[in-house]
Parts: sequence; structure tokens; C-alpha cells
Amino acid sequence: MIDMFFHNFKYILKTLFKNKMLIFWTFAFPIILGTLFHLAFSNIANNEKLDIIDIAIVKDEEFNKNIFFKMAFKELSDKKNEERLFHTQYVDEEKAKKLLEDGEIIGYLKLEGETPKITIISNGIDETVFKYVTEQVLQMSQTGIFEIEDINIKNISNKNLDYTMIEFYTLIAMAALYGGIFSIWVMNQIMPDLSAKGKRIAISPIKKGTIVLSSFLASYIVQLIGMALLFAYTILVIQVDYGVYSKLVVLLAAVGSLAGLSIGLAIGVLMKVSENSKTGILIGITMIGCYLAGMMGISMKNIVDKGAPIVNKVNPAAMITDGFYSLYYYETLDRYWFDVISLCIFSGVLILISFRNLRRKKYDSI
Amino acid sequence: MENVIEVRNLVKKYKEIIAVDNLSFSVREGEILGLLGPNGSGKSTTINCILSLLKFQGGNIKIFGKEMTPNSYELKSKIGVVFQDVSIFDELTVYENIDYFCGLYVKNKETRKKYIEDALKLVGLEDFQKFYPKKLSGGLLRRLNIACGIAHKPKLIFLDEPTVAVDPQSRNNILDGIKQLRDMGATVVYTTHYMEEVEILCDRVIILDKGKIIAEGTTDELKQRASIEEKVTVEVNNLDVRELPKIKDLMNVLEVSYEDNLLLVTYKDGKNNLVNMITYLKSKGIDYQKIYSERPTLNDVFLELTGKELRD
Repeated sequence: MIDMFFHNFKYILKTLFKNKMLIFWTFAFPIILGTLFHLAFSNIANNEKLDIIDIAIVKDEEFNKNIFFKMAFKELSDKKNEERLFHTQYVDEEKAKKLLEDGEIIGYLKLEGETPKITIISNGIDETVFKYVTEQVLQMSQTGIFEIEDINIKNISNKNLDYTMIEFYTLIAMAALYGGIFSIWVMNQIMPDLSAKGKRIAISPIKKGTIVLSSFLASYIVQLIGMALLFAYTILVIQVDYGVYSKLVVLLAAVGSLAGLSIGLAIGVLMKVSENSKTGILIGITMIGCYLAGMMGISMKNIVDKGAPIVNKVNPAAMITDGFYSLYYYETLDRYWFDVISLCIFSGVLILISFRNLRRKKYDSI
Repeated sequence: MENVIEVRNLVKKYKEIIAVDNLSFSVREGEILGLLGPNGSGKSTTINCILSLLKFQGGNIKIFGKEMTPNSYELKSKIGVVFQDVSIFDELTVYENIDYFCGLYVKNKETRKKYIEDALKLVGLEDFQKFYPKKLSGGLLRRLNIACGIAHKPKLIFLDEPTVAVDPQSRNNILDGIKQLRDMGATVVYTTHYMEEVEILCDRVIILDKGKIIAEGTTDELKQRASIEEKVTVEVNNLDVRELPKIKDLMNVLEVSYEDNLLLVTYKDGKNNLVNMITYLKSKGIDYQKIYSERPTLNDVFLELTGKELRD
């Protein structure tokens, strides 16, 4: 059976590498998207090139009470600070609205209790930076990681305000989950109820388990090579710095890829629709998952985490991005390992469900 | 000769629809058995049940004297199948495709190499080994499909309509190849709705309709079951239809029809029917362009048994 295992493994590996459509979506598309992110957000990544952003803060009793926000925005708007981000006007709410309507500011902040409420009238890079920084200040105030004197532009810009890093985390999550396209394709080739090739394989004297396992392993290898290329591209060409935790980033990407393949396996085995429809479903699930995990803006992840925490608990894209965030936000690796284990459990459950269905030997119709 | 396949009282339903209705037949070692029937008659379903791919509601199936199950790996190693749909990898060359499927049966690489060469020769694809399927014509693809199914030299081969949409040259090549397989000792089950292929190829024929066997035997035996013995066709323009009853009254004539300038006369028996017809036409001063005689075909048998054409 070992011979058969490697025979099938070799040829599935070959077919996967030669399938241009699969390679485009899993290898090329994330790299293209990464390049676009790099071009679009390089201004933000490089703080020196950032323009000073005009904002307003509603100066009322709530704001005056919140020393954290007061100090943070004072520091971020300090003219003496070479890395200053904002030009801030402290006004009442009516005035803030008028400034916004007149286009003199891009948005204003009002504290409701301890929760910051941001009002903007359009979505652009400046608005995103404003929202992002506000959320960072809020997180710091909630976790109490930093003392008030620690809130300065250096902390925010060097450790937390690398906007492109966030995009790259979700990009890696997306690329990992796109690996499911491989397992969908492979299942379609080897299952007798899905293709004529599958029928031919099913009537051969090779055990189904051998075929499925060797094909799944081949898909995983190709997916890992795709992820390695993505990492190489982001490190060497875009010059993304994954920092001291690069090995843990790779591990998380590998576990995320397993989750992607498991989703593809489950879709491939359980759904009785065409291969194209299955691929569409996988891409849809991945994109929605990445959106909820913060691909189009970190605020969405926070909204989901607060409003419907269960969603991101079962959202593999959120598990992956959360694992990445935790490497940079938290002092310990507990949350990172929690995310890794959650992804392993998620994958295991899907693989078990799929294999339970794969055990079927005969079909009602093919 | 031993029976290679024994099917007894096979029943297969798709919900309320009976696809195979209490089917029983056997296939003898070394023969080419033709399963002939129109689309939807149950040919492919029967094969899929025999191969243990499909669940069935009744009956039992034995191959080489043993019950066929999905785990009958020893039996499976003796079987080769060519499905109706071309089942190959577009990403692999002709050689690689054959090697992949042959490799599921034959471990030894040297043996496999020899088998692949034999298969390529059998289907006439020696010059296309390095071609990718997209570069092959429909006929060549069908040949590759066959090579993938038989390269491991199976003792029992199922060919499910392997010549659908194939050019005449490829069809002849395929049919010659199948005869060679039989001559090399394989037993072949061949499904088709092309009666000409069955007549050329098959030692024995089972005619299926609506999941039931409606006739079984050699082609000659089946033709003898038809009430017509001979068909005479005359190409004649503007025949006066009042002649038709008179022609029907001629000796041995069973049926007469005239459509699209073709006069078709069927005879139940007798000799010299063609000569008699020519004599009659001359006596009546009827000019004709062509006249020819045919023996009844399997389609005539099918028509007589079911009231419809095979390709309906």
C-alpha cells in the first residue's frame, strides 16, 4: 500500500502544480493582493510620509474625565512631536458637526461613557487611521498595558500602528484558507459520485483511505509551498518585517492552511453541487471570514468581537488573525496557543465529519 | 466455458423509478457480450451495480465465482473499466495518464512500462505519448480513455459506450483493439446503442429496454426472431400510391411503405424477392434510380419487440 500511496501522491502533486487555475488562486492571487496592499498603504506604513490629519474632539465632561484619551490625543497632536499624527480641535459637538460638514476635519471623536464614538462622512485612509488609533488608545486604556506616560506616538507607530501588518495578517489568513480550493479539486477527482475519474479510481484495488490521505497530503504540501512563496515575497520584495515571532507566524500559517484544506474537504465531500459552485462557496466563506476578521479594517473585528463573539470563535480567519495580533499585543503567548489549538480542533472536527461521509462504499446514484 | 459474471434477479430503483428490473444474465469467459439498448435502458446502471459502485435493492452478483463487494480488492485487480465519460487528467500527458491509472494496479515500474507501451500500441497512440489531452481530438481522447482502462491487462473489461461521438477512423481503431483484447483472453462486456458495432463485435447480445432483457442470443439468433426475412428498398420518383396495395399482394410481402421517394418492401420469407420486384417494376413501366436488398438488422428486431427505434 505504501507504493500505491506514493504513486497517487506523486501524480496528485503533479496535477495540482500543473493546474493553472488552482495555482493562480492559491499562489498568485494572494501575492497580487499583497502587492496592491503594499502600494495602497505604503504611505501609512511609512510614518514620515503621513500627512497631519485634521480631526476634532468633543470636549465635554466625559472627555475631561478620561485622562487616558486626553493624554493620548494631546501627545498625538503635539506640534513639538516630530511624529505627530493629528491636528486636533477641541470643540463642542455642534461645532464639531459644522467643521465636519465644512470639510475642515475628516471626523470627530466623542466619548460616550468610556466608549469612543467616531463620526466621519467618508471612508479613506485618513479616516481609517483615525479610527484605528482611537481603537488602539481604547484597547490600551482597557488592558492597562501602558501607563499614561507610555502613550506616545512611538509606541503606537512602531508596535501597533503598522497598518499594513494587519492587512498582511488577514492576507495570510485568506491565503491559508484558499488552500481549500486544492482539497475541493482533489475530492472532485477521486470521489466516484463526483467524477468519472473517481469512478475509475473507486473500482481499482487501492483502498479509498490510501487515495484520500495521499491526495490530502499532496494538497497540503502544495499549499505550504504556496504559503512559503507568499512569505518569501512579502519578506524579500515588500520587505514586511514579521519580527521576532517569525517562526510562530509560519506555524500559525501552516495550521491555518490545514484549516483551509479541511474546509475545502468538507465542502468537497458534503455538498452536492458542481466543482465551480463549491469553489465559489469556499471563496465566499473565506472572504466573509476575512472581512469579519478585519481585512477591510480592524474596526470590524472589534465590532464582531463585542457584538457577536461566537462568530469569530468559529471563524477560522479570525482565529488566524487573532493569533497574529496576539503575538504583537500580548506579553505572553497564551492567546496565540489558544488560537493554534482552536484551529487544530476546528480542522479535526471537519476532517472527522468528512471522513465519516467518505467511509460510504456504495452510492444511491452516481 | 466458465461464467465470469453471474447476475441474478438484479433490481435497482432510483426512488420510485425502476432502472433495472429483475435482471438475470451471465457472461462467459472469453466472449464479448453486447448490452444493447436505447439511452436510459439500464445498461450503465447495470454495469455500475456489477462494479459495486451503486446500491441495489435486490439480487446478487458474482464475478469469477465470488460475490462482488466494494472491498473485493482481489476481484477489482482483474477488472478494467472504460466509462462513457472520458475520465483522464488534463494536467497529465498521454503517457502519464496511462501510467497513473495502470499504477493503481501494477506496482512494478518495469512491468508497468511494458504494459503502457502495449496499451499505447493497442489504441494507436504511440506518437502522442507526450501530448496533453487538450491537444488531442475527440477520437484520440476516447482512445486514451480506453488505454487508461485496459493498460493493466485485466481479465474482465467493461466498455460503456466507448465510441460515442467518435470519428469513423477512431471507431474502427477502437473496435479492432477490443477484438484484440478478446483474442488475448479477456472477457468483454460492451454496452452501446449502435447496433452496427454489436453486429461487428459481439459474440452474444442482450437487448435491454426499460431495465428488462427483451431478447438475448447471437446476432443471427436474434435476427431470426424477426418476422421479416428481407428488406428491398427502391428509389423511385413520383410513384402512384395506387400501386402500393398491388405490391403488397405480391408473394411473401409483409409490409409496403412509400416515403421521400423511397419504396420500402419487407418480406417475411422466400427467395428471389429482389428479382421478382425488378420484374414487377419493369412490367408496370415504373422507372427507378436504385434498388437494393438488405437482411434485417438488430434495429428491426428491437422495433418489432418494442415498437420503437433503438435510438429513440
